Amino acid sequence: MSKSNHPIEQEELMAYLDGELATNRAVAAAAHLEHCAECQELAADLRKLSQEMMAWEVEQASPPEITNEMVAELEMRKREPKKQASIRRRWSMLFTPRKLVFAGGSAVVMVLIVSFFSFSRLRPAHEALLSGEAKGGKLEHYFGNDSYMPKPVPASTPPGGPEAYASMSRSQTLGNVAKIASGIVTHEQDAHVTNLADDETDSSDHSVPSVPMIARVAGITLSTKEFDKSRSGLEQILKRHNGYMGELKVNAPADAGRTLTATLRVPGRELEAAMAELKKLGRVEDESQGGEEVTQQYVDLEARLANGKHTEQRLTEILRTRTGKLQDVLKVELEIDRVRGEIEQMQAEKKELSKRVAFATLNTTVKEEYFAKLQGAPASTGSRFRNAAVDGYNTVVQGLIDVGLFLLSAGPSLLLWAVILFFPVRWAWKKFRSTRGPEQAEEEQA
Amino acid sequence: MISDEALMLSFQRGSREAFEELFARYREPLYGFFRRRLASKDRAEDLAQETFLAVIRAAVRYEPRAMVKTYFYAIALKLLAAERRKFSGNEPQLDDEYEPAEDGPSEEALWVRQALEKLDANEREILMLREYEQLNYAEIAELLRLPVNTVRSRLFRSRMALKSFLEPKRNTQSRSRSTAEGEAKS
Repeated sequence: MSKSNHPIEQEELMAYLDGELATNRAVAAAAHLEHCAECQELAADLRKLSQEMMAWEVEQASPPEITNEMVAELEMRKREPKKQASIRRRWSMLFTPRKLVFAGGSAVVMVLIVSFFSFSRLRPAHEALLSGEAKGGKLEHYFGNDSYMPKPVPASTPPGGPEAYASMSRSQTLGNVAKIASGIVTHEQDAHVTNLADDETDSSDHSVPSVPMIARVAGITLSTKEFDKSRSGLEQILKRHNGYMGELKVNAPADAGRTLTATLRVPGRELEAAMAELKKLGRVEDESQGGEEVTQQYVDLEARLANGKHTEQRLTEILRTRTGKLQDVLKVELEIDRVRGEIEQMQAEKKELSKRVAFATLNTTVKEEYFAKLQGAPASTGSRFRNAAVDGYNTVVQGLIDVGLFLLSAGPSLLLWAVILFFPVRWAWKKFRSTRGPEQAEEEQA
Repeated sequence: MISDEALMLSFQRGSREAFEELFARYREPLYGFFRRRLASKDRAEDLAQETFLAVIRAAVRYEPRAMVKTYFYAIALKLLAAERRKFSGNEPQLDDEYEPAEDGPSEEALWVRQALEKLDANEREILMLREYEQLNYAEIAELLRLPVNTVRSRLFRSRMALKSFLEPKRNTQSRSRSTAEGEAKS
């Protein structure tokens, strides 16, 4: 059956039987079907096919009932239909690229604002501590009560009281104030940092630290005659102050004193006492102390961490409640993976930061005082001669090898040039000789 | 009789009765949809239930411009696709290890199922949606995201192919019928 014979195509006939043909075409199809035996046969086949397909009946399902899960969902909807709707609408809005960009930008601005306020709240105390105006009275004002006053560093306070303190040079004052500050903060820091380190998973724990967080670094270089004792002394000091050895390196050259370089980690509040004990191990050659305030860094990290956890929570909620394409589901899962990775990284950073604050770093160098020994004759003279002879032999052999290599690599091209230039040069030489010959003869005659 | 769309809007506003009515109307059709496409009766029931769960969860996103029937089957198709992906990465097939009904399938049903299995997967889906789910061309086109004309031509092709696959059965039946008549006469 072709179009030339039938005004209605087979497909159209099928659509007509399915009730899917436009009215004008349906009228034409009905008219054609009345008198076309071939189309009637096709129509009968199609109808029969439908009947045959209906032979495949499925058994009845279990008695219809609404499952408990559905009831729970319905109850949840009943309780908060509007909230649920608004949450879902909000999330569906968030998924548009423009909204995502806007949300990202807003989050960044929020973090900046939070960081700014946190920083500005902490700034006065920190500035007061590091400015020349800081005195005992001011410190009390900023840190609340007497219990925070520096106990570990009484020797650093000048005997003349606040007046004498004020009359000290700026550098002295700064140094002492830094020491006082470090003494003040270490007690609270330890408690705070311990809490933070122990409770990494608590998402609500992102409060601003009540005191500046300072990662302290100190250095000391000692020289001693009793090197062996100093090493064991070092370990005992660490044990007494609950510290640990970060890194240890011992260097023992043949004709110089031994050197021990160690990175010690001691609790912040024990730093002063540990240093005082270390000084007893030998003569102090060099000493330094410093501190890096990481409060801002910590607050930023906290804010980012809280934000990340919130995002993860929302994404998980989306994954749980929304149905969509598998592609979308996979996208959400990938996003969750990414956010989870960032959170874990930030938690590790936070832990590391807390550790840096809780444990001060004490770079220690212990040098042995070296006494040179008088030797009758230099040791190993024979071996030095032998080594010199071997070196000479090696140099000769190496030279020969180099010449051989040069000839092998450059020889063929040199030979080629020699062949090319031989005849012209010989001709030129002969020419020169022939012109030079008569002149020489004349000179000789003269 | 209240339309499906009116019921859905009513359910969207929080009416549980409306959902129960929709559940009563669509439970059997949805079960049939999964049952004809999956081997396991239990999975078919589970997925029918999951379709309703998804409807409850996503009811807030339903917009009256979409037919409820199309909406339900769109969810069902997605669940079916996910189910098939879960158990095999192959081209969708009617399951070979079809778990028959307890009273056993009729011979005709078996023929039809086997003939359907031989069809191209895309064409088979269109044919099944048309014949068993009683969807019109536009609804199938919307569900499968195809032009209506493509749906029509594929449907025609699949019907012709199915007819050819069922031809031997017809011949067998007519032969056996004529033999039986001959025996009765003699």
